[in-house]
Amino acid sequence: MVPLSWYLIFSAALFAIGLFGVLARRNVIVMLMSIELMLNAVVVNLIAFWRYGDTMKMDGLAFALIVFAVAAAEAAVGLAIIISVYRRRKTVLADEINLLKW
Amino acid sequence: MIDLLTLILFIPSLGALLLLFLPREQEKLIKWSAFVISLVPLGLSIYLWTVFDATKNGFQFETTYVWYAAIHSSYHVGIDGLSLTMVMLTTLLMPLAILASFSIKDRIKSYMILFFFLETGLLGVFLSLDLLVFFVFYEIGLVPMFFIINQWGSEHGEREIWGGRKMSARAYASIKFMIYTMAASLGLLLAIQLIGVSAGTYDLKELFKVWPTLQTFNHITLAWQPDTIKAVAFWAFVIAFALKVPVWPFHTWLPDAHTEAPVAGSMILAGVLLKLGAYGFLRLVLPLFPAQSAHYAGWLGLMAILAIILGAFAAYGQNDFKRLVAYSSVNHMGFVVLGIAAAAAAIGTENATIALNGAVFQMFNHGLSAAGMFFLVGVIYERTHTRNLDEYGGLFPLMPVYGGILIFTAMGSLGLPGLSGFISEFLVVRGSWPIFTLYTALAMIGLLFTGAYVLKGIKQVLHGPLNEKWSGHISEINVREIIVITPLMILMLWLGLWPSSVLEVINRAVTMLF
Amino acid sequence: MTIETLIWLIPVPPLLAFFLIWLFTNRNKALSHSVAVGAALLSFIGSMAVFWQAVNHHELGKEPFQSAVNWLPVADGWFRVGVLVDPLSAVTLFFVAWTVLMIFIYSIGYHNFGQPKGEHDQPGLPPHGAKIADSHGHLHTVPSVEPMYSRFFAFIALFAFGMYLLVVSDNLLTMFMGWEVMGLCSYLLIGFWYAKPSARAAAIKAFMTTRVGDVFMLLGIVYLYSATGTLNFRAILYNQDVLNQLAGASSGFLGLSVAGAISLLLFVGTVGKSAQFPLHVWLPDAMEGPTPVSAMIHAATMVSAGVYAMIRMFPLHTAGWEGHGLTASMSVIAFIGVFTALFASIIAVSQNDIKRVLAYSTIAQLGYMVAALGMGAYVAAAFHLVTHAFFKALLFLGSGSVIHGMEHGVMHTEEHIDPQDMFNMGGLKDKMPFTFWTFLIGGLSLSGFVVVTAGFWSKDEILARAWGGEHLVIFSVLVLSALLTAFYTMRQISLTFLGKPRTTAAAHAQETPWTMTMPLVVLAFFSVTAGWSGISPHFPLLGGILPNWFHEFIRETLMKLPEPMETSYIPLIASIVVSLGGLSLGWLVYHNHPAGAPDPLKTSLGVFYRWMQNKFYFDEVYQFLFVRPSFWFSETFVFKWIDRTVIDGFLHSFAIASDFIGRFLRTRFDLPVINGFGDLVGESSKKFGKSMRVIQTGQVQQYMVAALIFVFGTLIFYLYSLP
Repeated sequence: MVPLSWYLIFSAALFAIGLFGVLARRNVIVMLMSIELMLNAVVVNLIAFWRYGDTMKMDGLAFALIVFAVAAAEAAVGLAIIISVYRRRKTVLADEINLLKW
Repeated sequence: MIDLLTLILFIPSLGALLLLFLPREQEKLIKWSAFVISLVPLGLSIYLWTVFDATKNGFQFETTYVWYAAIHSSYHVGIDGLSLTMVMLTTLLMPLAILASFSIKDRIKSYMILFFFLETGLLGVFLSLDLLVFFVFYEIGLVPMFFIINQWGSEHGEREIWGGRKMSARAYASIKFMIYTMAASLGLLLAIQLIGVSAGTYDLKELFKVWPTLQTFNHITLAWQPDTIKAVAFWAFVIAFALKVPVWPFHTWLPDAHTEAPVAGSMILAGVLLKLGAYGFLRLVLPLFPAQSAHYAGWLGLMAILAIILGAFAAYGQNDFKRLVAYSSVNHMGFVVLGIAAAAAAIGTENATIALNGAVFQMFNHGLSAAGMFFLVGVIYERTHTRNLDEYGGLFPLMPVYGGILIFTAMGSLGLPGLSGFISEFLVVRGSWPIFTLYTALAMIGLLFTGAYVLKGIKQVLHGPLNEKWSGHISEINVREIIVITPLMILMLWLGLWPSSVLEVINRAVTMLF
Repeated sequence: MTIETLIWLIPVPPLLAFFLIWLFTNRNKALSHSVAVGAALLSFIGSMAVFWQAVNHHELGKEPFQSAVNWLPVADGWFRVGVLVDPLSAVTLFFVAWTVLMIFIYSIGYHNFGQPKGEHDQPGLPPHGAKIADSHGHLHTVPSVEPMYSRFFAFIALFAFGMYLLVVSDNLLTMFMGWEVMGLCSYLLIGFWYAKPSARAAAIKAFMTTRVGDVFMLLGIVYLYSATGTLNFRAILYNQDVLNQLAGASSGFLGLSVAGAISLLLFVGTVGKSAQFPLHVWLPDAMEGPTPVSAMIHAATMVSAGVYAMIRMFPLHTAGWEGHGLTASMSVIAFIGVFTALFASIIAVSQNDIKRVLAYSTIAQLGYMVAALGMGAYVAAAFHLVTHAFFKALLFLGSGSVIHGMEHGVMHTEEHIDPQDMFNMGGLKDKMPFTFWTFLIGGLSLSGFVVVTAGFWSKDEILARAWGGEHLVIFSVLVLSALLTAFYTMRQISLTFLGKPRTTAAAHAQETPWTMTMPLVVLAFFSVTAGWSGISPHFPLLGGILPNWFHEFIRETLMKLPEPMETSYIPLIASIVVSLGGLSLGWLVYHNHPAGAPDPLKTSLGVFYRWMQNKFYFDEVYQFLFVRPSFWFSETFVFKWIDRTVIDGFLHSFAIASDFIGRFLRTRFDLPVINGFGDLVGESSKKFGKSMRVIQTGQVQQYMVAALIFVFGTLIFYLYSLP
């Protein structure tokens, strides 16, 4: 059986990729996708810990499902916002959407 | 079932609440409902007058409700002949004042509401038989009056104050009235606390029995002699009431407040508010402090004759018609205090009773004549928009009916025999002559100059060559205004010819007072 | 109806008439005067009935008609008021009723009832006359009706009420009420033509001067009430115990007894009302009023009321008097009376206004009565009061008739002359016969023309009393005054009626209507016959032919009945000599006075004449001593200095102090310390925020980096700080 650490390394890598995407990419859609990536990294973690821990407890699975639900909701809302922003400003680049400053 | 006195006392306040729900734009509706509401207490007090048993001693229609049990103060109301006369006067003048206010154009609703609260305050003073409740009502009256003067007072006029600064006359007058009266009431409040705490009750009927002979003061840590404490409390009372009456030298708020107040405000100020002070002397000072009153009566008498003489002189020196009438109040109320002082000096004698009869009757009569005079000044002011005597002149041909009424009322104010003011002045002079012979003789100077200022007013307004600027611009007194003044004139004449209709009630009350 | 009820009702009709006219009939002239005259007539009938009953009542003095009701509750008892008719009031009622009724009727004519309205007439000024065209189309100016006709009748009705009330009162208080009501009417009627500044000033002067007396009188009433516990005339004056007690007790004032002090206080009231020196100044000015007013108020009734009050209180004034010598208060009274009689007669000699002469004459005659009372001559004073009321009312009405006739002439000729100046008249005898003959009777009566006139009998009685009481100074001064009286009376008659007209207006004067002449005739009748009721039985030749009814009747008012005077020839001769001498002297000097010539007295008396004509400058002196100082005292001293500066200044000083403390606390503590601290907190937060705001770039990724750094920082801190 694959040791737990592999899963963790995988998930950390996935998370790092996502984080990089969020911080470094200018396109908001890509940033959203990167967030999904980070969430998935978390889900991998949760599942892995469940599998290697007490399988009779369903907490890891439950959390994973909640994360999926949140991710789906977030994607829906996020994409809607992005579309709305795009319609108004004709751009999806994060550094051009800087209205929230002082 | 609510008792009669409480009903009379709070119907005006209920009326004020009712007015609150009327739409602001319906001025006619507001005026007429205010007038109708104000007739209710009048009707009730006329009923009270008929069922009042003048031959019985002491208070009647007494009612007590728990009010503030922790400090032994209760809502205790009741009347005797003294308060009945004053209640009658208040409830009579209020509808007339409201009718006189029909020409007010500005914020009529608030104005009427203030008047009703004022009426409750005034009636409360006359009806309450509890020292603390008395004080509460005594102070409540100030607030509506302050706003009435401050907001609806004469719009023009400035008063120069110190340092060459100027402020609007009505603001000056209202603030002076308010602060001066409040300041004097502080001592009154302290003295009331002293009495209430040391005697363990605020109930007047109890206090009449206990306080005059009380020698040990519980809970009072002053290291003074009992007599000193009582003397201090006495002067606290006297100053508060002397200021309200007012006697010289506490009188200077009066000409300002009376002059600047709106017509109805002056009517109530002169007609009723001044009586609070005299009523305080009669109801509280004399019964509670008989020894001190007798001891210091000479000082009170001196202040009274100074008010009589200097009030008359000051009135004579005016060019402002309304201020002339205002100073006449100082002069007339001086006679009230002279009677009270004489009675205080010789409590229990026949002279004292006569002097008190005169004083109380003078209170009533001054209520009639002063209210009438202020109203008539208001009538002419509404037509000419000036109060300066030099600017009138020969208006008699333009307004003959008004002229007749003015002369009649002015003669009532002058104390012409045949009108009620004479009877009361005669009784006061008769009562005080054996007690304060010199003061009474000196008061005649005041009486002489009463004639001088009244004639000066008539001369400048009605007589002499017509001031052409007014011809065609002045209309005769109208029916509403005649309706306001008629009851006052009828009463002045009736009580001048048949004074016993009121004096019998008064006489019984003051005989029993001591 | 009992006689008492009738007495109660006597004052009522005029009062009702006053209110009726004031409230209802004001617009209708005919109705107004009908109401007023009707009321006067009712009172007149009542008074005559009462008088008749009184005369036929046995021992009226001991059992007068009286009735009283409870009026003022006083402590445990009542102050009762009521009516009283004793001989004195009965006689007074008689002459009051007659004069009042006559004057009411006269007023109708005087105010030109029935004449057209004047075009330029306005209320408050005497009518100027109306222009009417006759059948040829010529315009004539004729007298026009008084614009305030109804008001006049309302006022005189009220006045009549006051007078009747005064006469029938049984106590000083209601008497004082009538007294003051008359004072008010006097004020209103003197100032009837109120638009004239002179009338306005005269009205105020009259009211204020009499008020000076009235306040003293009020004190006297109060003093009497305190001392005796009642004001009822009978209880005080018909009760020797009370009088003795009053005369015995000391008032502690100038050594006077209580009775003396009260007497003097009451006397000051009379001095004011009856225009005695030094309060006489108002009466001549009061001639500004319409003439019926002068006749009624300022001759027949109101000024007489002052003397009436003295006569009424006679037992009090003379309390402690032994019948010879004079008490302190009596001396004062006698002095004032005598001085006034002389002093006013002197002034009267120099006056040119027909009514002013009569005004001063009235003052002098009242002085006569006061002097008589001061000497204790009760009946004589009352007698002169009655006769004087008739002949002086007659003279005033006659002078009004003259003025009326002259005004007619003035309007006709449109001359600009004063129709009241006697030097503009002359020769009116033929133009106005009724007026002339009646005026002559009145004038002769005033000057005490021998035997036939009423004035002779009453004046003679006073002189006889002065002589008999051995008051030689009083006697001689009164005789001198009588001489002057006769002189100025004849001067007046001569200047007015005799000789030739001195102006064209006088030549065109016209007799007045019957409403004016009829009262003259009636009063002339009484001016003669009234004297016959009081002829002393000791009078040579004539004594005893007619009963000395007046004396017998009136003396019963008193407890101690005064005896009629033994006639002595000296006062009688003196009286005849001065009266005839004065009359003939006046006739000699003035009977043919030419137009435009100065008064012969002016040349002979020089400076003294100017003093006389200016009334010895009393008005000016009073103005300087009393009027102006009191105005200064009122306006400047009391109001501006005491009230505005001292008292208000004291009050303001509290305000200034509070203001100062408030300002100090605000500028030195509130603003720097408390506000400073608050501001510091706010300001520094603001500054900090400002400096920090640059990190808000709006770049979401930068925020995320910052968050990441923070998370890592926290993590690292957490890890390293683990134990």
